[in-house]
Amino acid sequence: MASYAELRKAADAAWAAVDRPQRPYIAVSIATCGNAWGAEQTLARVRAVVQARGLECDVGVTGCNGLCFVEPLLSVTWPDGVRVQYGKVEPERVEALLERAIVRGERGGELAVGTLRGSVAGVAPIEQHVFWRGQVRQLMAVCGIIDPENIDHAIAAGAYQGMARALALSQDELIKLILDSGLWGRGGAAFPAGRKWDFLKVARRTPKYIVCNADEGDPGAFVNRNLMEGDPHPILEGMITAGQATGAEIGYIYIRDEYPLCVARVQQAVEQARAYGLLGENILGSGLNFEIRVVRGAGSYVCGEETGLISSIQDSRGMPRIKPPFPANAGLWGLPTNVNNVETLANVPLITRNGADWYRQQGTERNPGTKMFSLSGDIARVGVLEVPFATPMKSVLYENGGGLPAGHALKAIQPGGPLGGILPAEGINLVLEPEPFRAFGVLMGSGGLILCDDTTCIVDLCQYFSWFAEDESCGRCTTCHGGTQRMTEILRRIQDGGGRMGDINLLHLIVDTLRWSNCVHGQAAPTCVQNCLKNFMDEFLIHIQERRCPAQVCRGLIRYEVIPERDTEAAAGAAICPTNAIKESSGHYAIDQGLCIKCGACKERSPRAIRVVDAMPRPRVSALPEQPLPLVAAPAPAAGH
Amino acid sequence: MPDYKVLLRYRELLAPFEADQGDLLAALHALQHAFGYVPPDAIPEVAKKLRMNASAVFGALSFYSEFRTTPPPQNQIMWCSGPACRLKGGDNIRLVFETVLGIGMEGETPDNEIGLHLGQCNGTCEAAPQIWYNGAVRGRLQVADAVELARRLKAGERDL
Ligand SMILES: Cc1cc2nc3c(=O)[nH]c(=O)nc-3n(C[C@H](O)[C@H](O)[C@H](O)COP(=O)(O)O)c2cc1C
Ligand code: SF4
Ligand code: SF4
Ligand code: FES
Repeated sequence: MASYAELRKAADAAWAAVDRPQRPYIAVSIATCGNAWGAEQTLARVRAVVQARGLECDVGVTGCNGLCFVEPLLSVTWPDGVRVQYGKVEPERVEALLERAIVRGERGGELAVGTLRGSVAGVAPIEQHVFWRGQVRQLMAVCGIIDPENIDHAIAAGAYQGMARALALSQDELIKLILDSGLWGRGGAAFPAGRKWDFLKVARRTPKYIVCNADEGDPGAFVNRNLMEGDPHPILEGMITAGQATGAEIGYIYIRDEYPLCVARVQQAVEQARAYGLLGENILGSGLNFEIRVVRGAGSYVCGEETGLISSIQDSRGMPRIKPPFPANAGLWGLPTNVNNVETLANVPLITRNGADWYRQQGTERNPGTKMFSLSGDIARVGVLEVPFATPMKSVLYENGGGLPAGHALKAIQPGGPLGGILPAEGINLVLEPEPFRAFGVLMGSGGLILCDDTTCIVDLCQYFSWFAEDESCGRCTTCHGGTQRMTEILRRIQDGGGRMGDINLLHLIVDTLRWSNCVHGQAAPTCVQNCLKNFMDEFLIHIQERRCPAQVCRGLIRYEVIPERDTEAAAGAAICPTNAIKESSGHYAIDQGLCIKCGACKERSPRAIRVVDAMPRPRVSALPEQPLPLVAAPAPAAGH
Repeated sequence: MPDYKVLLRYRELLAPFEADQGDLLAALHALQHAFGYVPPDAIPEVAKKLRMNASAVFGALSFYSEFRTTPPPQNQIMWCSGPACRLKGGDNIRLVFETVLGIGMEGETPDNEIGLHLGQCNGTCEAAPQIWYNGAVRGRLQVADAVELARRLKAGERDL
């Protein structure tokens, strides 16, 4: 059996072949985000051009370095070690780029995003790219650089080194190391990882299990995906070390169905690690045994909740159950189990490799380390980045992310997934760590940050998250499945123009009632509504009392009409209307309101001639009770979800 | 009882899976991968192989939104229900597909040529608002683009 040092030596040689190549090495970023923009076609085109023209170069793949906004991504490494990142390399641009970069050896050009290493005249180092500034890339250090399907690349980048070192430590030393590092769970609840491991270690029954939660169900969060697709080995390494620290010998990775490429890459990583003796029996001759199985989910959000995930793995409906007992005492098949998020586990090798003190150099005393965030919504640059805790959210969203579309103002920020809540615009001044978010009644959560501009309707946003919670409720608790349904209905009624003043109190009642649900899904389902009743009451009142949607989103409260003075200019709108609602009579167009479904297609095609107006312009005024009546006292939400 | 040949095929597909190992989802995925859906008459076979009750297999199967028990449509429009898509008008896109094709979410045209399926955000929000047509992203859609796509489908075009 090979030792770590031997594996490393061979890996270094394999990596050197592409890191300091004999001839230019072209790597196309193949990841879910890139593929959406045709990265696979780009790769095929690169191969075809290289072959057809007999170019002197090699071609490979990488994961994604988070620059979703300039996909498809491609990098070239030259024999002198210079590596340049190119972006927006659509298939039709491949030939010109290769002509330039490979044939003529010109390394710059308009597609160059930055240099990843070395310097090129006219191209700034990627660290100076606005999206990169302020980032500290420890977890993503080699995402987009190495080939995620090649274990040698990972090992050369340092994978399994920490694990090999940890093999010399006792369980207590290892747990102490993780406790000292201050690492806490990135899956949402922010519970200290070392303490959770300790619960599993002291549990007596065997076998014990380590579960990696790769369900990443929060829409708008795609940080775990980036790691699994870009650099999967550190996740396995973290699981093995968790197994060593706790006495667990079996691990499961539960990956959501929407991430087929993650399933493939993680599965492959597991097989490669096993072939190298890094997984399986007697790991690196240490006597440690650890096996990993990959489970693919099938489209259920609550399976991300740890007890739901456990039931889903063990052949049943993925329904969460009440806690306690916690998984450390009764998890998979009733046996002691530890569930950790992908990003939590990927942090472990950094700590075992570099020590707790090194790890604590980033972030703050209470929140050491870095956190990955995915930016989306009304933002210029959609992407994934990694910053130390306590980085100002404003700089991440406005500088790295490029802020809102021109001419629009910030309305709200939605962090932490559907259950996380909605921050009002002043929340932009928070720093990225859990505590300040909690003061707003919001969860920082697992990494999604969604920016909402002033075209967003808050009632509609609440209705969306309420619908999501309803749709994904497992149905066990009446409070949750009935409550989310009722909440959605009331919000829809308000959107449809049938809101009543009593609805505000009804919503408060539902918010309080949902807190009695079994699991955090139901308990946190009303967070958005609760936040918005506090911070956006005006907007609810305008919907209910004035029957108006200020953002002109709620279909029940708006009407499309042809502007009378321009009613001859709506031909394009009339042609696109899916219901033929726009009627023409001797050159004049008018919308038949009985047929209009308020889709807005006509306004896109005839923006000059068609406008949106309030459907019910009469203001209706009725007094709001000063304070919504207190109805039931909410229980303290269950700890440690 | 399925035809004998079909039964053998089920058994062949289920061969790698064992009881009490957390194999159920993988077994159902294998069937769905082979047939495009999980044939209901395979459920007793799954149950036998994994030593479960058929009712428990069906219970699990019916819990997950990505498993189906009827043949899939020839062409599938998966509509992204995610937040970034919604902020950019995704809901109107859904409305348009439903209206033009005359089917609801999770519905299929009577000839099973086209189906609408609700998808979840997979983090390709750069392309919002989007649909996946037979797996390929159609992103940055305007509502009017959606009307055109839907009309072409309705007119019998399949290569969008
Ligand atoms: C409805 C619901 C969905 C969840 N989804 C996820 C998820 O997709 N990924 C995740 O890591 N944790 C998710 N969690 C949190 C897990 O229950 C659990 O706290 C976490 O996996 C623990 O890992 P950590 O300690 O490393 O954060 C979810 C929780 C709830 C209530
Ligand atoms: S709160 Fe909702 S999701 Fe959680 S167990 Fe109850 S019904 Fe299921
Ligand atoms: S909003 Fe849609 S349905 Fe109404 S007139 Fe315009 S295109 Fe037709
Ligand atoms: S919201 Fe549609 S892909 Fe993220």
